[in-house]
Amino acid sequence: MKHQRMWIVGLAAAAFATVQAADFVDTNQSRATPEAQGGIVDGKQKRYAGPPFGGVPNDWSEWPGYRDDKPYPAPQQATLPADLKGDADNGRKLYMSRAKAPCTGCHLIRGDDVWPAGNVSTDHQQIGDRYATPEAEAVLYQYIYDSRVINPQSFMPPWGTVGILSPQEIVDIIAFLKTQRGPLPEEKDPARNPNTRPLPENYFGDNLDPTNNAAVVLAEGAIDTWTRQGPKGKSCADCHGEIEKMQGIAAQYPKYFPLYRRVMSMEDLVAWHGADETGLELPSQGAENIHLALLIRMQSNGMPVAVDIESPEAKAAYERGKALYYQRVGQRNHACADCHDADRGGGKFLGGRLLGKKTDGMTRHFPTLRTNFAQIWDMRKRMQWCMTPLGMNYLPADAVEYAEIELYLTSFDNGKPISAPGMRH
Amino acid sequence: MATGQVRIRVPDGVKAGDVVTVRVLVTHPMEVLRMEGGKPVEKNYNFIHRMAATYNGKTVFEAETTQAVSQNPFFSFPVKVTEPGKLQIQFEDTEGRSYTGETDIKF
Repeated sequence: MKHQRMWIVGLAAAAFATVQAADFVDTNQSRATPEAQGGIVDGKQKRYAGPPFGGVPNDWSEWPGYRDDKPYPAPQQATLPADLKGDADNGRKLYMSRAKAPCTGCHLIRGDDVWPAGNVSTDHQQIGDRYATPEAEAVLYQYIYDSRVINPQSFMPPWGTVGILSPQEIVDIIAFLKTQRGPLPEEKDPARNPNTRPLPENYFGDNLDPTNNAAVVLAEGAIDTWTRQGPKGKSCADCHGEIEKMQGIAAQYPKYFPLYRRVMSMEDLVAWHGADETGLELPSQGAENIHLALLIRMQSNGMPVAVDIESPEAKAAYERGKALYYQRVGQRNHACADCHDADRGGGKFLGGRLLGKKTDGMTRHFPTLRTNFAQIWDMRKRMQWCMTPLGMNYLPADAVEYAEIELYLTSFDNGKPISAPGMRH
Repeated sequence: MATGQVRIRVPDGVKAGDVVTVRVLVTHPMEVLRMEGGKPVEKNYNFIHRMAATYNGKTVFEAETTQAVSQNPFFSFPVKVTEPGKLQIQFEDTEGRSYTGETDIKF
């Protein structure tokens, strides 16, 4: 009798397992376009090797990313080399060199040619007064070489430890910083100083006006994709009806799907569910994918974002997204939080760019028109571009890590109205 | 995409004598010049090549465009309005089809 019962339980479990297996679609193999999957060609990141991105095609494979636990160098003690003489002019060049950092992205120095300067971190216009003694110079050397030795909470990259600045270059920069002393010169242009610079607001006019935002008409063109029958004899419209019926749907995304056992954004769902049901090719970050996802999202314009972060699966994904948001990665040992938390860089200028604050919500205008690239970017392309200042190679566009970070970020948009496509420069 | 939708935007709160900026866009493809054997293929390429705007029947703006015009071309032009009326904008492509949109300018 006991045996029989166990048999039944065993059978039931086996049946359950088969159903589960058949009902699960593995999304590990990326369905992004080849460009959106990343990849290194001749030691360069393929996408960023050519225009309009030329300039940062570095391969950062050796540094830790979201998917691996490569070790990051431990904090290193450094002593100011006594035999090196600093060259203040070269130090100033290094300080402003885009190939090196630039330091001006986060710190402010004197000079009308310093454009654009940021204020993520301390103002250096009078640092020479504070670090005048040789002991202070040694502290400064250690701070630039590896700030974690002095302040474990610091989020300045350890420039010396990772080899971006050589000891000679650091000594040059210190020689330059010592010249930043005395009373401040009068500011000719209030926009030079990030602390007095006016904030750019509603820069481009009405983002939903088709005569103003080219993305609107392109997205409306995706109605062709919505109604086109794929090789499987079905179109999106055959199951879902008119596009207007999608009203309010996009407000719930990113959303957990048991079928994929992960959270999916609208773009992910078009690439997986849309392609599987119709047989159409709709790879992530392909034009059709972005336009269709945008068209679906536009049906929810004006409606408040309402993503689920309460159900057990969504909650777990939210927590993983939050952990990834605070995880230090890449050559520069940065986390998303360094730029987007209000107590770090959020709401301040990184060079000329105003950094978004996560608490303001950063997702409800996506996919958005990038006026400087004349391209429509979905949230994922924005995230992939964010990997560049982290010094990390980007993940495929439909990576689950990005979906979970996106869910975490979108949770701050809850209750705020969707307005897609946005316009950003 | 439905070809030939004319979208017109005029500002609100117009007063007599104002110079208003009209913004207009037409959804239309732009056929890219094809090359074969180093020479451009001689054919009638399809793009918008003429637009004309009338206000209460009077022509206020005309334009001729060439191969360089974009897909979904956008035009913006000023009009001085002295009375309320109907603004009609007509586009014509190289295949002879024309697309018309109209809007009322109210005071």
